[in-house]
Amino acid sequence: MANAFVAAFEILSFGAIIVLIVLGLGIIASMMGIFNFAQGEFVLLGAYVTYLAYAKGLPIWAGMVAAPFLVGGLGFVLEALIIRRFYAAPIVAMLGTYALGLIIRESVRGLIGGFYLTVPEPIGGSIDIGAMHISAWRFTIIVITLLVMGGCYLLLSRTSFGLRVRATLENPSLARASGISTPLIYGATFAFGAALAGLAGALIVPVFSLFADLGLRFLIQGFVAVMVGGVGSFIGPVAGAGVIGTLSAALPWVMAPVVADVLVFVLAIVFIKFRPQGLIAGKGV
Amino acid sequence: MLKPMSVVRQAIADDGAGDGMAERVAAGQAGDRVKVGRKVLPIVEGVVLVAALLAPLVLQDYLTVFATRVIILALFALSFDLVWGYAGIMSFGQALFFGSAGYGVALLARDLDITNILLVLPAGTLIGLTFALLLGGFLLLGRHPSSVIFVSLGTLTGSYAADRLARGWYYLGGQNGIPSIAPMTLGGYEFTEGPAFYYLVLGILVAVYLLCRFLVRSQFGLALAGLRENEQRIAFFGYKAQHLKAIIFTIGGGVAGLAGSLYAFHEGFVWPNMVGVVVSTQVVLYVLFGGSGTLIGAVIGAVIVEGVSFWLSDNYRDVWPIILGLLLLLVILFRPLGLISFVLGERERVGSFGAKAKEKRHAP
Repeated sequence: MANAFVAAFEILSFGAIIVLIVLGLGIIASMMGIFNFAQGEFVLLGAYVTYLAYAKGLPIWAGMVAAPFLVGGLGFVLEALIIRRFYAAPIVAMLGTYALGLIIRESVRGLIGGFYLTVPEPIGGSIDIGAMHISAWRFTIIVITLLVMGGCYLLLSRTSFGLRVRATLENPSLARASGISTPLIYGATFAFGAALAGLAGALIVPVFSLFADLGLRFLIQGFVAVMVGGVGSFIGPVAGAGVIGTLSAALPWVMAPVVADVLVFVLAIVFIKFRPQGLIAGKGV
Repeated sequence: MLKPMSVVRQAIADDGAGDGMAERVAAGQAGDRVKVGRKVLPIVEGVVLVAALLAPLVLQDYLTVFATRVIILALFALSFDLVWGYAGIMSFGQALFFGSAGYGVALLARDLDITNILLVLPAGTLIGLTFALLLGGFLLLGRHPSSVIFVSLGTLTGSYAADRLARGWYYLGGQNGIPSIAPMTLGGYEFTEGPAFYYLVLGILVAVYLLCRFLVRSQFGLALAGLRENEQRIAFFGYKAQHLKAIIFTIGGGVAGLAGSLYAFHEGFVWPNMVGVVVSTQVVLYVLFGGSGTLIGAVIGAVIVEGVSFWLSDNYRDVWPIILGLLLLLVILFRPLGLISFVLGERERVGSFGAKAKEKRHAP
């Protein structure tokens, strides 16, 4: 019983990490129609900022708070300078953001070398429930993921910014004609997605350590999750990430990890083939 | 399935950007020699061929070995150019066919002692062909036409999954791959690294290149370029667009498999990266740099990227990948047709891409 509970918690916390990483990817893919191959590198940068803060003797929390703002700011600049030129063709956008990701990843690799750099958990120890021990930090990640998801939902469904974003998503030219500055909306959406990736990186670095391929590790999983969930809504990618994250964390408990890994991808591709619109179809939040 | 040439030619000519191809085909095949500007392509091809033939005579031995590897990678690049440059299928997992053929021939050599070149090369090609047929058939065919994004992510995922499988499967050597593969043989002769191997792969590259050249300039290739430009219109003419794509995808897989089996024997070992995302994206770089949709652009791209990597890797090992990324970004932004577009007019490319794409999606 205790083991099953700990296993369920492990699975849940891994699912939360995937949701956190995919949230930004899904928002960018849904709202802007581009699959951002540099998203993994935004995660990496968030992790790197947190590590830097720690290495410079600042509180880790400071790094974790700064990470989304710094990465989001970088996202805004990159959107204005480069990403904007790619909207015309989704495939070109894939290749362009891939090149961007390559530059960021290799720059970070040059800075940190091939090492695994560790950052301690800001909230250490474990939460004890009877005989069961669960990691306090992983529990915190689940809570923050829920808060962020709720926040994103409210932002997109209740604020005027969200309304503008949804209008731009539904019909860009009509939105433009209604006086919405669509370039600004695109920039802000991209920056927001990047900030979420930065936050994800900051939160997971105590769990996974910092290494140059950190972002790459989750990228393909993220894309598959977005496709499974369905592009075009806020809920879709979150649902997809929940399913993919849970599956990839749960299956290794019952079969060889390699088989589990491959099986998740095969199942996902087969699912998308027969239900291209994803779990949750449609536009809007 | 095939329609009169004139109909297709007209369809693509209507797109404006593609009319160079139509006239070119008219000039080449119908016999009425229409003058379409200067023809640079044959000159480029000739220069590359002469340079490739002379290379082992001027290069030191270790460079000949390196050049052999580059030629094999150029063959691999050719396979990607067929599916991306001509049919517009973003095969982001092309290494799956390259690597699985490499693993296949390595297993033949290790477990069955089969190293005869007349057996292993066709076997490698067949492995690539089969994998591409299965994956391409699944991704491309069906009631609903698949989106470009789905196909690219599907191939990428396939390549990633194969990488994970190769790493975790003890029979395939796991993380270390399969080392010390016996050399290819022909009768009693063993192909080891050196000029003989170089001329062997160069001969194969030229032969495959000519076959591909024939293929893409045939009506089949013309229809491919047409569906790359405007799939709906080509489908409207009664072509089964999805079938055409699946066919070229399969052929591309076969060429990649041939390259993969040559690579395995040349390097003497195979390892998981060969099927994975790293090599998959490497081949995308080659073709983007060189220029997609020209065949020779893929070859030139492989030579340039690998050559410069080799040259820079001693002194700038850490910085080179960053430079590569920056160059790639610049090429995508300002030279979407690759470096070859500096010397080659767009009219000489069979069809064109990018020019029309701007209208397809909303710009903010």
